[in-house]
Amino acid sequence: MATHPTQYAHPEALVETDWLEKHLEDEGIRIVESNEDVLLYGTGHIPGAVHIDWRADLQDPVIRDYISPEKFAELCSRNGITPDTTCIFYGDKANWWACYALWAFRLFGHEKVKILNGGRDKWKAEGRPMTRDVPKYSKTNYPVSKKRFDKEIRAFADEALAQSKAGKPLIDVRSPGEYKGEITHMPEYPQEGVLRGGHIPGAKSMPWKTATNDDATFKPASELAKIYLDQCGVSPDTDTVVYCRIGERSSHTWFVLTYLLGLDNVRNYDGSWTEWGNKVGAPIEKGA
Amino acid sequence: MSKGCGKLDESGAAEIRSDGTYPAKLNNIIKLFESLPEDERRETLVSYADNAKKQEPRAGEDFNLVDVRKDEECMDTVGVYLHVDENGKAHIRMTLGPEVQTLTRAMTAVLCKGLEGCTPQEILDLPSDFVTRIVGAELVRIRSQTIYYVLTRIKSICKVYLDRERMTQAQVA
Repeated sequence: MATHPTQYAHPEALVETDWLEKHLEDEGIRIVESNEDVLLYGTGHIPGAVHIDWRADLQDPVIRDYISPEKFAELCSRNGITPDTTCIFYGDKANWWACYALWAFRLFGHEKVKILNGGRDKWKAEGRPMTRDVPKYSKTNYPVSKKRFDKEIRAFADEALAQSKAGKPLIDVRSPGEYKGEITHMPEYPQEGVLRGGHIPGAKSMPWKTATNDDATFKPASELAKIYLDQCGVSPDTDTVVYCRIGERSSHTWFVLTYLLGLDNVRNYDGSWTEWGNKVGAPIEKGA
Repeated sequence: MSKGCGKLDESGAAEIRSDGTYPAKLNNIIKLFESLPEDERRETLVSYADNAKKQEPRAGEDFNLVDVRKDEECMDTVGVYLHVDENGKAHIRMTLGPEVQTLTRAMTAVLCKGLEGCTPQEILDLPSDFVTRIVGAELVRIRSQTIYYVLTRIKSICKVYLDRERMTQAQVA
């Protein structure tokens, strides 16, 4: 049996709440809050944190895609971010949208990224400082990146289909009910317009939450290895595709596989089930 | 039949809508939000959300109907409490679980204030198109659709109340 790692592959990709509270005013970092609850930042946030809205700031306003490299450079510039700034992401929902924003930053080639382990809920539960003051940072001149790294970390529907046909690792991180096709919405959420239920043929069910403890922190490396290497068949030798409904929960799993387990061949199929479940002729499996 | 709430009509038993569509108090809130730039609109929504707690039942209040439940489509429990006074006017109180989104909290405060004093039938007849005028098109999107949920729950309790009233009247007749 393979020996499992005892440490995260990139421990530097995580910061703990205790560390962050002591380094709130460090130069060279930018704390970035990204939430599902669109108004949550306005009710209070970590001092110095800027808000990046997954929809308004990161996605193209018309077509279903991300902003252009020019818009990304504008976004970073107005938040006082340079290519050398270490962006520390956190947010609600156990960091779903923080991981999504981090993944989007990586799409544009921003390399210095970290996640606050446990996210907003842990910070708040520990009684750490919150403020409603919106910080102002001097505008920077973030360079327009020459490319977007779609090929490296993003999968499209035809690539997810190829992954399925080749029998390569494909992980469905939604709830078991969504995977089985028993429901076409997330538990505790309204319908989001998906016409068909089920999963991509050959996909393994491993809900995103399997990677976290009750306080939303990530499980130890050895446990993550058992979950993904042993149970999902993920390995450094084969590329992996992860998906959910709109790409945020799978960003969480993408972060786990890429930064905590150190796999450099993982792509997030962000079109996910809201694309696949509506796509004419897309093959679907139902049941466990 | 009343066309809406706002000014009392001559009999005092019904009210007249201020603009032919929305109750006067709600209409004022809509106009306020429409006059605000986007950043102030959001700040005002957060202020309303802060006030959602004030819409909870108060000590000594009685209610004709209480509907507290957690639906599959909502992240937490939402309670709706309806009191209809001797003039047939509805007074709504609400409780929200801690997981309910900020925008939904804001809409709760907006609706409790904006619909105060309407009749249950007027609430039932209310179109839902005002929601985007308050919230703004940008915030009505995937993962924020529960803003309509609170209105649905308020209408639901009003419908149950009216159905029961009609059954009682039918039995008496």
